[in-house]
Amino acid sequence: MWKKVPIYVGFIILLLMTTSCQLKQPSFSITAGNIGSAFAASETTLLYAHEGKITYAYAASSFDNFQSELNGADQTIAASQGVPAASTMRQLLSLYQEAMRAVNTPCLNDTCNWHIQIAALDRASKAFLKAGNS
Amino acid sequence: MKKQKEQHEQKNQWLSIALGIVTATGGFLDAGTVATSGEAGAKFGLGLIWAVLVATVAVILLVEMVGRFTAVSKKTYADAIREDFGFRFYLLPLTAELIAESLLLAAELGGIAIALSLLTGISWHILFPVAALLVWILTWRAPFDVIENGPALLGLLTLSFIAGIIALGGIPFPVLTTLWKPSFQQGTVTDYLYLVAAILGATISPYLLYFYSSGAREENWTGKSLLLNKVTAIVGMGFGSIGSMALVVLGAIVLQPLNMTSNTLGELGLAMAKPFGIIGSYLFALTLFATCLGAALEITLALSYNVAQGFGWEWGEGKKPVEAARFNLVLTIFLLVAVAIGLFGIDPLQLALFASTIIALFLPISLSPFLVLMNDAQYLGNKTNGRFTNIAIICILVIAFVVAIISLPLEIISGGG
Repeated sequence: MWKKVPIYVGFIILLLMTTSCQLKQPSFSITAGNIGSAFAASETTLLYAHEGKITYAYAASSFDNFQSELNGADQTIAASQGVPAASTMRQLLSLYQEAMRAVNTPCLNDTCNWHIQIAALDRASKAFLKAGNS
Repeated sequence: MKKQKEQHEQKNQWLSIALGIVTATGGFLDAGTVATSGEAGAKFGLGLIWAVLVATVAVILLVEMVGRFTAVSKKTYADAIREDFGFRFYLLPLTAELIAESLLLAAELGGIAIALSLLTGISWHILFPVAALLVWILTWRAPFDVIENGPALLGLLTLSFIAGIIALGGIPFPVLTTLWKPSFQQGTVTDYLYLVAAILGATISPYLLYFYSSGAREENWTGKSLLLNKVTAIVGMGFGSIGSMALVVLGAIVLQPLNMTSNTLGELGLAMAKPFGIIGSYLFALTLFATCLGAALEITLALSYNVAQGFGWEWGEGKKPVEAARFNLVLTIFLLVAVAIGLFGIDPLQLALFASTIIALFLPISLSPFLVLMNDAQYLGNKTNGRFTNIAIICILVIAFVVAIISLPLEIISGGG
């Protein structure tokens, strides 16, 4: 009896994976919510760095991860199910690109204008979170 | 003279108990529990504290049992599974462990690398091999008590999370209400269920049981160690879970209002930076470093113990590498496998969440033998399980089966949280 246990276990795992893969629907609202949250995190990180609550090194390391999380997210959201009207999508993608400039080259010293980056991240964050909730 | 010796033994026992509590408290968290706790708090407020509590009770019961089993029978859990169920059956939990814990080990190494990265600003991708090297040197050279107690003592920094909550003014009433009434946004029910599975998988990690059991043998526990075992399990693990719950609370108080969902480990540190500034962010990074280092050491050893005990090879951290050559070779191979997984560049937090789900999937395989072994008088004499503990094991197994069935579909549907 024990000999067949691995076969049963393997079968169940395969069945579960197949079923759940069929169930999976990349939803626009979830993707938009995730992008909005990531921009919100980037915004807070940048703000805390300039308020002296975290070091620039801490912020740089965090932005390294935000880049991995957000790069290519525009393609993911465009391919997701339940995409809104084309005009809304254009607006969201424009905000995404503006915010991504801040994510990819965050202002982590006193010589550049970090306020502009905070504003861009804030706009993108709010727009994506709103789109995710609607 | 005899009285003096007794007093000395008693003093040593209390010292061991105190150290056991401290190490269990400091060693409770790892990359998986940090990831799941932070995300749970940021997404659902205090609505998943119950899952942490259930997992804690389960792990207390299991740790107490595996410690009692080893102390009385003088056999490790892995040894007993092989002896009682046969080598072919033993390959099942062994394979499950190898798959799940290799992923978790890669996540822990990533956690160490990210902690170092947050402190230095150097990319965690560069620091990943450094983390692996550090773990390899420690497992290769350090004696067992250093591995067991060192990172765990440093892990007591987790208690700073409680100080963070107090400095933030405690839990506001609206957040407190999420304890019994979590707020669900559109499409987040699967996320909620997925996190329940991941929290259970992250907390009830079988590697902890294999490591604890082998550690009891390394330290030559006997029937006299049962008090130490019970206190370590109940008080140590109980206190340890406070760190996990504190992270849920911090996520709920700080991250949720800022619309952050704790998708990266650095975000969690912002919750500590809010009340304490730079010191808070350092405290978080150091805690992450200590907890992930402790877990990485435990997982590496647990996997090597498992293989060596399963195949009947010489094993033990007390032995020189040349005396347990195959044990030390296996240990090195696992670290190389984890490094290979890490080279794919998957974010450690996502990897930890995924590993926790896979562990949840395999939980029944690792835990089922408990029911038989803990009632075998040949091993345990008159220390077999009572009715209460047997009912508890059955409940844990039922939970494990349910979690195993739902974990993978939820992982895929929710997109990994």
